[in-house]
Amino acid sequence: MKKYIIALGLLAPTVLFGQIDRSIRPEASPAPTININDSEVFTTKNGITVILSENHKLPRVSFNLVMGSNPELEGIMAGLSDIAGSLIMSGTSSRTKDQLDNQIDYIGASLSADKNSMYLSCLTKHMDKGLTLMSDVLQNANFPQSEVDRIISQNKSGLLATKSDAGTMSQNAVSVANFSKSHPYSEVMTEKSLSNINRDAIIQYYKRKFTPNGSYLVIVGDISKDKASVIADQYFGNWMGTKVFQEQWGAGKFTKGNRVLFVKKPGAVQSVIKVSFPINITPSHEDYLKLTVLNNILGGSMFGARLMQNLREDKAYTYGCYSRINITENGSWLAAGGNFRNEVTDSAVTQILYELERITDENVTKDELDLIRSAMAGGFARSLERPSTVARFALNIIKNKLPKNYYQTYLKNLEAITVDDLLLVAQKYFTSKNCNIVVVGNEDVIDNLKVFDTDGKIEMLDAFGKEVKETSIMPAKISADMLLAAYVNKVTNPSSKKKVKMKAKMPKKARKKIKKITSMKEVFELSMPQMPMPLISTKIWISPDTSVQFMEVNGMQMQKSYFDGTSGYTSNMQTGKEEYDADDINAEKKSKGLFPEMYYKSTGMNYELLGIEKVDGINHYVLKVMDGKSETYSYYNKETLLKSKSISIQTQDGETQEVVVTYDDFKEDNGIMLPTKTNISTGEVNLSGKLKTRTFNENIDLKSIK
Amino acid sequence: MKNLVLTGVLSSMTFVGMSQREIEYVEYDLDNGIHVILHEEHATPIVAVSVLYHVGSKNEQTNRTGFAHFFEHLLFEGSQNIDRGEYSELVEKNGGMLNANTSQDRTFYYEILPSNQLELGMWLESERMLHANVDNTGIETQRSVVKEEKRQRVDNQPYASFITETFKRMFTTHPYNWVPIGSMAHLDAAEEADYVNFYRTFYVPANATLSIAGDLDIEQTKKWIDKYFASIPKGQAINLLRDFETMGPEEFKKEYGVAQVSFDRKDFLNPGNAAAATLLKKMEGIQIDIPRPEKPTEKIDQVITDVVYDNIQLPALFMAYQFPSQTDEDMYALEMMNDILSGGTSARINKSLVEKQELAQFAFSFAYGLEDAGVGIFAAIAQQGISLDTIQLAFDAEIEKIQNELVSQEEFEKIRNQYENDFISSNSTIAGIAENLADNHVYNGGAQKINTELSNYMNVTREDIQRVAKQYLTQNARIILQYLPKEKTEAVDEK
Repeated sequence: MKKYIIALGLLAPTVLFGQIDRSIRPEASPAPTININDSEVFTTKNGITVILSENHKLPRVSFNLVMGSNPELEGIMAGLSDIAGSLIMSGTSSRTKDQLDNQIDYIGASLSADKNSMYLSCLTKHMDKGLTLMSDVLQNANFPQSEVDRIISQNKSGLLATKSDAGTMSQNAVSVANFSKSHPYSEVMTEKSLSNINRDAIIQYYKRKFTPNGSYLVIVGDISKDKASVIADQYFGNWMGTKVFQEQWGAGKFTKGNRVLFVKKPGAVQSVIKVSFPINITPSHEDYLKLTVLNNILGGSMFGARLMQNLREDKAYTYGCYSRINITENGSWLAAGGNFRNEVTDSAVTQILYELERITDENVTKDELDLIRSAMAGGFARSLERPSTVARFALNIIKNKLPKNYYQTYLKNLEAITVDDLLLVAQKYFTSKNCNIVVVGNEDVIDNLKVFDTDGKIEMLDAFGKEVKETSIMPAKISADMLLAAYVNKVTNPSSKKKVKMKAKMPKKARKKIKKITSMKEVFELSMPQMPMPLISTKIWISPDTSVQFMEVNGMQMQKSYFDGTSGYTSNMQTGKEEYDADDINAEKKSKGLFPEMYYKSTGMNYELLGIEKVDGINHYVLKVMDGKSETYSYYNKETLLKSKSISIQTQDGETQEVVVTYDDFKEDNGIMLPTKTNISTGEVNLSGKLKTRTFNENIDLKSIK
Repeated sequence: MKNLVLTGVLSSMTFVGMSQREIEYVEYDLDNGIHVILHEEHATPIVAVSVLYHVGSKNEQTNRTGFAHFFEHLLFEGSQNIDRGEYSELVEKNGGMLNANTSQDRTFYYEILPSNQLELGMWLESERMLHANVDNTGIETQRSVVKEEKRQRVDNQPYASFITETFKRMFTTHPYNWVPIGSMAHLDAAEEADYVNFYRTFYVPANATLSIAGDLDIEQTKKWIDKYFASIPKGQAINLLRDFETMGPEEFKKEYGVAQVSFDRKDFLNPGNAAAATLLKKMEGIQIDIPRPEKPTEKIDQVITDVVYDNIQLPALFMAYQFPSQTDEDMYALEMMNDILSGGTSARINKSLVEKQELAQFAFSFAYGLEDAGVGIFAAIAQQGISLDTIQLAFDAEIEKIQNELVSQEEFEKIRNQYENDFISSNSTIAGIAENLADNHVYNGGAQKINTELSNYMNVTREDIQRVAKQYLTQNARIILQYLPKEKTEAVDEK
């Protein structure tokens, strides 16, 4: 316990500093020897392989219990294993979750579980208490329904948050792109699959997965071998379970040519890029180490790696650019990339592909190889500081069937790798021509990415990697005017049982009927999950062409639009009132009346029937309508002829915005067919609306609403 | 009363029974002001070399924010003897790793190397301290990199701006007003001279702590320290040397009135020329005045409520209170109070807001201790459909409870056990030890705190926790930030 504190002044300032030539770089002293302590391996009577790494530096110990089975296909319950994993700590038959949490925290320990393992870490003196809790959870976890419900609803919110989290979206897309649907790695939890998960399925999963057969118990820290073997039997020896699940899944999905997969993230200031492809290799393969060296030269975590030097240090496109290889028994892949500002998204893809091509085309330099080899050797030495490393080595040797002396000879094997070896593995496993290029970002950057896609068709994915379908349009056999007339006929004459005849002329009856309506006022309540208060939308139409619309929250008017046939304005709480200019007025004039479709022909509206398209499995006529300001696609159900959806695309201040409105639950009201449900979505906002009131022919004071 | 006595007995028992390892170290000052701390430990053949500069974003000028962090980037760009891009390469190709980080109060650089490369690590850090390259090439590159860092870590990260938003309302005059990432416009506006000045003011030996730990020999290490660090000129002489190396002969002569050739590049500290020797002595005698802000005296005296719109899906609530600085005695009790509220799954906030009432996706609190002041933060991301007002009420209920009721004996023991566990686990790596020693020396009143800090926590009583809860969780003086999704309702138009 001696401490040397040499006070200021004792170190006499008489020292005269001699010459020092700072341009001479210090030489290394003789290399220190690296000792890898052996770990003990033994088996319990019920089949657990125990790996012990003793280390008495600190009075602490940890127990990591890892299951031996392979991943399963989850199908309609994608995400089941994650949900089950996060519920394991939810209580046992003799301890509620509260009691369990309290008892763990009370001894300052950490006990956690996931879908495939359980981990305890505590001070040696609390070991028995900690193991009592761990083995209780392992054998008696009881998944209370209330906790199941809570975790499921928490995950629902989490999935919603995923839609604003570019990193998770990118991971989802990479999984889906590199593995086929019949491979567990391609499965991503969605709102739908989450809703299929229940307590029974969770319990079944747990029983299948958590079994002593084929499992490993890794013990690290301040504990002797004798004590460890007693403890393994005492706390885990009576644990029983099913046979281990060992299905093999094979490698990933190899593609021909480069694919670009794009996930929209409105408002993004950076694109998350991952250039990825599957690799056909397992951890026990002899190329494993060479491939690791190669990947480190390309994009390892060292500043000296090619991607970092090129894209950060040279071009300053990014804060960091890396390539990662994930090599597992059940499928392996590479993903290279990072976060890049919008403007350089395509340049960054170019450079990443360039680096992939370069490394498969020509030898790396001797300097690069030396750099990475030394860095890896250094990393190897540093990793030995953690007592868990030695245990991990032992676990890898057993699990991945590596030679017994794999880590003892690691540095020697590393030293033996040549630049020629690396070119061979690069050509065998890497590609710049058959990549899945995943980009999550602002849709402004999409157009510049087309050049990277071999067939020029960018695949659009949603936040969970599901393809966003762009359905093809079939030709329609009727004209646009016929559609408009049939639609107007249908909505104004709903009780008629007769099949509507296709004529290009507006039905006279309709005009008569509409004439009787002098005003209509409807109030919809719009809500979205993130908003505590509903939005109240009021629309007023007064014959012949006055229309007013306003939105309120909690009695406060957020925005309003007003048009009386000749002039109008919009106003908005944030930006204030803005009078319509000539263009606006022109556009407004083109959609007059209660059903603007009645007058398209005479108002100068530009419209075109594009054809028939399936929406949710139902055929719809698609009409493209342009009023000079915005472009709208209206969808009319081919059977009922009712308008079920409109997509309008508006460009404002250089920003393009897509608003999708759907209409549902049509009911006859005052002799006409109108929706009572609606859904409005734009960007990340999704409002679902229900009709509150609708009144006709009320006397509305124009002044009060102007 | 009985209970209290028992607590005292229990606490001394825990303390005695604890088999904690004492961290041994040597510390001393060099003549030029560098404080040296050495810790020898041979378990793994590696060493950690670190230098802590006592400069953070709070030392920046109001129109040049982000400088301290920017320097953390710039000072990997090389030196008089190290080419651009070579700094990291030298470390990596010799089997080491390196990094740095910047806070409001400090900039910290370190390398972890195989122990036979200790001398290399010292040379590298001494080069950075003596005469790093602060020029336009490096400035341009790192400016873009830092901008990307901000986009990645703040702008594109949901909720990540809450620290910025909180601090700018909490500190209106103290430089904690801004956060280390600073303003990109300031970095753009700055010129080379601004950067050079920052280097000359803050990157000087008297502002540095050199902390080395690992597989080393103390005597040999001291010799290398003399060679590489003690040879760095003291006072303004360091800037004389920097000018000597970067200025032309005329400029140098004009600035100092002594011919540049009067100094010997290879032996700068021992000039044969009398005028040079006099100048050197004079410059050595001029201490560099390192500007440090006054501790904030401003007090929040009301509830400040604001809404922040962000690219998020779920609303979130952030509440902030003024806490004392990290060295204030009350911080021990405040940290323990915070752990009662938020340390571990069984802590009150998680149990109540997340698990029992299911109001929040995540909810937690933390005590943000800084050199000049502290901030207590409560944060929650709402569950779908839960209003932020409801969450605030739930937080307030927890705050009232800890103010009005003594924490239970069991909860109190739980927190104490957690501190013991954390304390024992905290010094498990040599890099961690090097950093803790330097931090304790500069900010916590002495390196010895690495071995004694636990007793300060163990001296906190349940009454202390209740007292600080009442004193600092001031419900009538706090900042409340509501994070709401950016809405695009203006687009709703069903025509």
